[in-house]
Order: sequence, then structure tokens, then C-alpha cells
Amino acid sequence: ASPSSVSIRSKAADFDLKTYWTSLMVQINQKLDEAIPVKFPQQIYEAMRYSSLAKGAKRAPPVMCISACELFGGSRLAAFPTACALEMVHAASLIHDDLPCMDDSSSRRGHPSNHTIYGVDMAILAGQFLDLEGGPNAVGFIQDKKFGEMGECSAVCGGLLAGAKDDEIERLRRYGRAVGVLYAVVDDILEERLKPEGDKDRKNRGKSYVGVYGVEKAAEIAEELRAKAMEELDGFEKYGDQVLPLYSFVNYAIDRSFNVDDASG
Amino acid sequence: ETIETEEKPVFDFKSYMIEKATRVNKALDDAVSLREPLKVHDAMRYSLLAGGKRVRPVLCLAACDLVGGTESMSMPAACAVEMIHTMSLIHDDLPCMDNDDLRRGKPTNHKVYGEDVAVLAGDALLAFAFEHIAVSTSGVSPARIVRAIGELAKSIGSEGLVAGQVVDINSEGLSDVGIERLEFIHLHKTAALLEGAVVLGAILGGGCDEDVEKLRKFARYIGLLFQVVDDILDVTKSSQELGKTAGKDLVADKVTYPKLMGIQKSKDFAEKLNRDAQDQLSGFDSRKSAPLIALANYIAHRQN
Repeated sequence: ASPSSVSIRSKAADFDLKTYWTSLMVQINQKLDEAIPVKFPQQIYEAMRYSSLAKGAKRAPPVMCISACELFGGSRLAAFPTACALEMVHAASLIHDDLPCMDDSSSRRGHPSNHTIYGVDMAILAGQFLDLEGGPNAVGFIQDKKFGEMGECSAVCGGLLAGAKDDEIERLRRYGRAVGVLYAVVDDILEERLKPEGDKDRKNRGKSYVGVYGVEKAAEIAEELRAKAMEELDGFEKYGDQVLPLYSFVNYAIDRSFNVDDASG
Repeated sequence: ETIETEEKPVFDFKSYMIEKATRVNKALDDAVSLREPLKVHDAMRYSLLAGGKRVRPVLCLAACDLVGGTESMSMPAACAVEMIHTMSLIHDDLPCMDNDDLRRGKPTNHKVYGEDVAVLAGDALLAFAFEHIAVSTSGVSPARIVRAIGELAKSIGSEGLVAGQVVDINSEGLSDVGIERLEFIHLHKTAALLEGAVVLGAILGGGCDEDVEKLRKFARYIGLLFQVVDDILDVTKSSQELGKTAGKDLVADKVTYPKLMGIQKSKDFAEKLNRDAQDQLSGFDSRKSAPLIALANYIAHRQN
């Protein structure tokens, strides 16, 4: 890294991500609330609202989208519809993931899952619909629940809205994917540490990085991803401090220095 | 001395449908090719390429043609509409919905691939439908493509298809379902996607707002017509004639037009809907509107 990128990296370490993230979340929650009013037939809108306005959601995809848009001087207002669309698509994939015929989860973020409350039929329809609310900017990745895909798409959408150049979009794409996968790998490692002895790699074997590679190798992968994401951002040097939020997402993916869920109020 | 007996060319509906359906099938086969991950693509293709009359995509192509567009403008949208129609059938057949084992004489998607893959295959078709329009439409301005995508999303979301399904689910076993509620269900469950098909064709083909709205009305009339005729056939035809179980609505105690207004009045209503639909086309070039008129007549007079 060049001297200037070293300095911006250290600046990013001091960036108050918690305040930035929480204030954005308040706005995103309000936009989502407005985007899905309860109409007739009530039941379906309630099922949709239940999942997309759920407390405990981090709103990571919309936050990433807005940060990427603002990096290039794009307006936050212009980014909100797409940012909300990303969250809706995210919610839709979670609803379908939790279904009895899929992962069969009766709870999500500490609350009963959608189908537990509204029934499997409504949950399928609500998921189907949230897929659609997204509209033109959020298509093509619905079934791919993976964090990498979501991170990539969120960052790229933000850049596209702000009119970023092709090479900048590709840089965002690589950055977003790296951060998303990094977040998932670190999740796996943290989860593994929390598990009681003897319970290790019981359920997720083969499904998680730790299950496949073991903790040590997973930590190595995480370090590679971190370096890769930082390197991509170094290419945005000329945008100055506007890039700080994107740097601090990388740090956050690793250190989880605060709890976004609590911050949502 | 040689008087040219110039006969008005008779529109050959059957060969028109066969030709268009063949082109649609080829386009669908190309669009959803078998690729990694194989299982979900295989499941998508199983239901998507299982036959069917392709009424929706042909409506889309015909509407585009009517307003002066070319096939390359509307074929991706036509395929998208069929992908979404297929998605709704796959999800409808699931055990938690209608729980059907057979569709068009073949085992339903979840019977072959399992429920989990069937849910995902439906989701993937839905997502891909929009991607396909966004990526593969050629010769149309970005503004019209975005407008078309918005229209399609609306027609199948909670203000469209999904709304119809929800109200339908909520109406099962109710004794006091009135004509208004019945119409809501059908306008959303059946007519919305037909409307989407026609309106998308008109938008992408370059139609002016007035033409788009005329075709939207046309589509709503034939959408409702489709359902009224379906209801009549269910009580007047045998299972053999229909190629599916007759009298299903009676057994399921479903509210239908014949039940609410009697068979004769239902037939009169169907005739009126067909006339109203065709009235919308009166301002267009009669040679170009022939396919849509024939489609309306086909929907009105079909025997199964």
C-alpha cells in the first residue's frame, strides 16, 4: 500500500462506524416502512412487513449500497429505493430459507420465522412478492443467498446509481464480494468458538468454511479476504474521506466492534 | 376482362399459434439452458418446457407487432411472462398450497425434484425472468425497458397475482363470496399476468400511451373472459372432454360464475366480455389486429 493509502487506512480505523450505521438505519427503516403500506389483502402485507421490518436486522445490504453511491458523490435520496429493494430481496430469501421444506427454522433473529406466524402458503407468497418489489435494480440474485453475492450486488448497485465508471464498478464488485464472504467466514469462526466442546461440527459440517477447512485455515482465508478488500479500496484514493465507510466495513466484518442490532433501538 | 377476385385474406389462427409457439419454445430452451448448478436448472426446464399453449407469450408478441414493434423487442419479455407463469404453477402445486401431484399429465415439479428444489426453481425462474428482460431485450430504449419491468413486477406482486392468490386462499369454504370478491380474485389471479403480457408487448413495441391503455383494457376483458369460460366448462363438460377433472369447482365448493348467476347468464357475460375486448381493437389496422381478435375468440369459444 502507498503512503497515502496507509494514512487513509488508519483514518478508517478511527471512523465512527457505529454512529454512521445507526443513523443510516433509522432512515432506511423509515423508507422501508413507507414502501410497504398495509393494503388489501392485509394479511400478505403484514407478512411482508413482519419480515422486512423485523427488529434485529442489520440492514447491511442497503447501508453498503448507500455508502458505495455516496463514494462517487451520488445522492442518498436517489439510492434509497434500490437500497430498500436490496433489503426486501434479502428478506425474501430468508423467508424461503426458513420454510419447512428448506432449512425448517421456526425462528429468525430471535423471533418466530414468517411461516410460523402466517402459514407456509403466505410465507411463500410474501417471499415471492418481496422478490418483486425490488424492481429493475435488484434482479438476478434472489436465489443466491450467499453473503458474497449480496455484498457484491449491494456495492455494485450503489456505484451504478452514482454513475461510476466501468473499472470502478468492477473494483466495487471485487470489494463487495470479498467483504461479504469475509463476513460469512468470520461468522463461521465465531460460531465455532461459541459451540460447546463435543458439539463441534455437528450440524454444519460441509456447509461452513470451518466445517470444510477447520478453524486455522478459515482464519487464513479471512486474512486473505481482508487484504484483498482493503487493496481494492486503495484504488479509490482520489475520492478522499468518502471511502472511509467502505474501509470500516472491512474492519467491522472482522472485529464486530459493536452490536448493530442493539443500535436499531 | 379478368376480374381479380381479391378475397379478404382469412387469418389462419391455428398455423399462427403453432408458428409462434414454436419460436417461443426455442427461445425458452435457449434462455434457460442446462448449466451449473444442474439440478435447479433441470427443475426449471422440466416445468418451463413441459408444453402448454403459450397463450401469454403469444399475446405479448402479438401486442408488440400490433403497435409496430419487431419480435426481437418483445421475445425476451414474452419468455419472461411464461417463466413467471411457470413459477406460479410450480408454487401453486406445492403441498402447502394446492398439493397437486399432476400437471399437464406429468408429475408436478416437487414430486420429481423435491419440495426444496421446487421452491428454489420457482424463485430462480422469477428472478431470471427480470434478468432476461433487462439483459436480452434489443432495440428498445432503457426507459421503456425499465417501464416494462416495473409493469411486470406490479402485475404479479401483492397488487396483482399474489393479491388474487391470498384472497382466493382466504375465500375457501366461505359461503357468502359475492360477485365483487370473485371478480377481484380473477382479475388478480388470472387477468393480471395476461394484462402484463399484453402491456409489456405494447410498451416494448413502442406503442403510445393511448395504445398501451387500450390494450390494457383489452387484456383485462379477456383475462376475466378466460376465467368465466373456465367456470362454464367445469360444469358443462366431462372430464374426458376437458382433459382434466370436471366438476372440480363444485366438489371443492368453490364460488364460480355459473353458481352465482346461472349458466345462461354466465354465457351471456362471456359474450359481452369478448365484445368489449374486441371493441378496444377497433382503432387499429385490422390486418395487424387479426391475431389478437382470434386469440379473444379462441379464449371465448374453446371447448377445453
